Amino acid sequence: MTTREFDGIQLERVREFVWEIQQEGDMRVPARVLASEALLEEIGDDRTLQQLKNATHLPGITGHALCMPDGHQGYGFPVGGVGATDVEDGCISPGSVGYDINCGVRMVKTNLTYDDVRGHEEELVDALFANVPSGLGGGGIVEGDIDTVEAVLERGVDWALEAGWAVEDDLTHCEDEGRRPDADPSAVSQKAKDRGKNQLGSLGSGNHFLEVQRVTDVYREDVADAYGLESDQIVVLIHCGSRGLGHQTCTDYLRKIEKQHGDLLAELPDKELAAAPAGSELAEEYYGAMCACINFAWVNRQLIMHRVRQVFERVFDRSWESMDMHLLYDVAHNIAKKEHHTVGVDPQGRPVGGGEAADREERELYVHRKGATRAFPAGHPEVPAAYRDVGQPIIIPGSMGAGSYVLRGGEASMDLTFGSTAHGAGRLMSRTQAKQEFWGETVQDELREGSQVYVKAQSGATVAEEAPGVYKDVDEVVRVSDALGIGDKVARTYPVCNIKG
Amino acid sequence: MSYELRPHTADVAVAATGATLGETFAAVADGLAAAMCDRIPETGERFSVTVRAEGLEALLFDYLDQLIYERDVRGVLPVANEATIREDDGEWVIEASARGVPLADVTARDVKAVTYSEMEVTETADGWQAYVVLDV
Repeated sequence: MTTREFDGIQLERVREFVWEIQQEGDMRVPARVLASEALLEEIGDDRTLQQLKNATHLPGITGHALCMPDGHQGYGFPVGGVGATDVEDGCISPGSVGYDINCGVRMVKTNLTYDDVRGHEEELVDALFANVPSGLGGGGIVEGDIDTVEAVLERGVDWALEAGWAVEDDLTHCEDEGRRPDADPSAVSQKAKDRGKNQLGSLGSGNHFLEVQRVTDVYREDVADAYGLESDQIVVLIHCGSRGLGHQTCTDYLRKIEKQHGDLLAELPDKELAAAPAGSELAEEYYGAMCACINFAWVNRQLIMHRVRQVFERVFDRSWESMDMHLLYDVAHNIAKKEHHTVGVDPQGRPVGGGEAADREERELYVHRKGATRAFPAGHPEVPAAYRDVGQPIIIPGSMGAGSYVLRGGEASMDLTFGSTAHGAGRLMSRTQAKQEFWGETVQDELREGSQVYVKAQSGATVAEEAPGVYKDVDEVVRVSDALGIGDKVARTYPVCNIKG
Repeated sequence: MSYELRPHTADVAVAATGATLGETFAAVADGLAAAMCDRIPETGERFSVTVRAEGLEALLFDYLDQLIYERDVRGVLPVANEATIREDDGEWVIEASARGVPLADVTARDVKAVTYSEMEVTETADGWQAYVVLDV
């Protein structure tokens, strides 16, 4: 039995790419890390493993606390973490969703090829930068008044359709059709709504971005066909979340839970794991608020996508419909969803982790994915009809140097990871270190001259903090995901133009 | 009073010291501003912020949260922070002010939220020190 140890935490190799931290002490379940040896080295380098162990203390956590191949230290729950808690007698944990509720990615297709865009890169990047608000204080595509915000929180992309910012197809190709039915706008605070009002249709900063890409490789022809992807095709990736509205909501509920369920909090190893007991008023409120924020983020990405369509119309002088700018799919990677999964149970019918299950049964769980993406396989009823035969699309943004991937939900995901896989490359280097190692303008010049990648950002510091060298090897992350059968490689894309805040 | 930005894998941390609690908290707030913006001009009007909380860490959390809120609704970067802290009837109160530099005057990046992760507020021989991780 191969074992590795990092700062006193021991991992046993269960099989290739699957490492287990045995259940001991106050851990309610064991934990697992899905990684190659190389990725495990990086995961073991910061506090990820300790945070993963801490996550196993969440009441009602079922199966294993999981760390995806791109995992890294977050706060409370690691980024790249998946934790499923029982809806009846577990809990829901805002910190295990993240501050940026429904941070996620969508990919928009086009019928343009790289040749169509060459020579237009500067014009395109300038037009996108000028027309998609980014950074701090840039406003939003839509002037949000209080009624608009309420409608967005309640109805998600349905509102966008009514208001002329979406077409039917945009809804059918989005996770949950762009609207969480359990949304409760009244559970979102006035402070959160005040912040969101000025940011409806905006990119934000940090690792959020908008990228025009070209498809460089197709790995599974049949799936790529079903997705409408082919080599040399131009696509657009949009990565952002629920902006200040979501961030405030997470903050509000962390504090509410701290004040109301302090005793439960005292039993958890980290304040950021703050959880409300399943069935409590606060748990219901948070779930409703979170669902409303999820709607806001989908509308945010929808508005940006539609604006991108308008920009392309201006640059290429034809309608977006004639350029087939249809939504491939939109995935959330900071989210908690009520889902049904088959889990091992003890003779009393309570979910158990590890191998002591007396039986297996279907349970409803809050699946928390923080920096992890849903990855439902072929045949799953929640996969849109257009893709049900091949599996749910998964979009994995890499870095400006390494490009991004499209995967499809793999056969092994439901068994291994509650139907989840990685969300990106994961960071390797801190922002402060990145600013010491890289100079924004130099990174931009090198990308343009060396790789024909055109980057425009509100600040050079952001470019430095997001330089290709600060991210883990996304190829390795995807290799592990594919080998495990949780997310299979379909295509690879490479950046052409990138804008960030 | 002084602050320093510290490395953290995905986010940024602020370590601050001060002779009093108020100075220390204000120094953290200056660190928050520095995390958003490298070059800060002398423009803007001062505004006040008062926050009450059940404990010192909660107070620091809520104070920084309030500054982030003010940033988004006023459209300003809160800089040149000043604060005094007192205990009042079992609660802690911070009375603070900041100069709000219009966001239009600066190139600033978003800080999403304050976190409790690794937070520390401790008394030292010379006063106080604090450590906060901010979500970027």
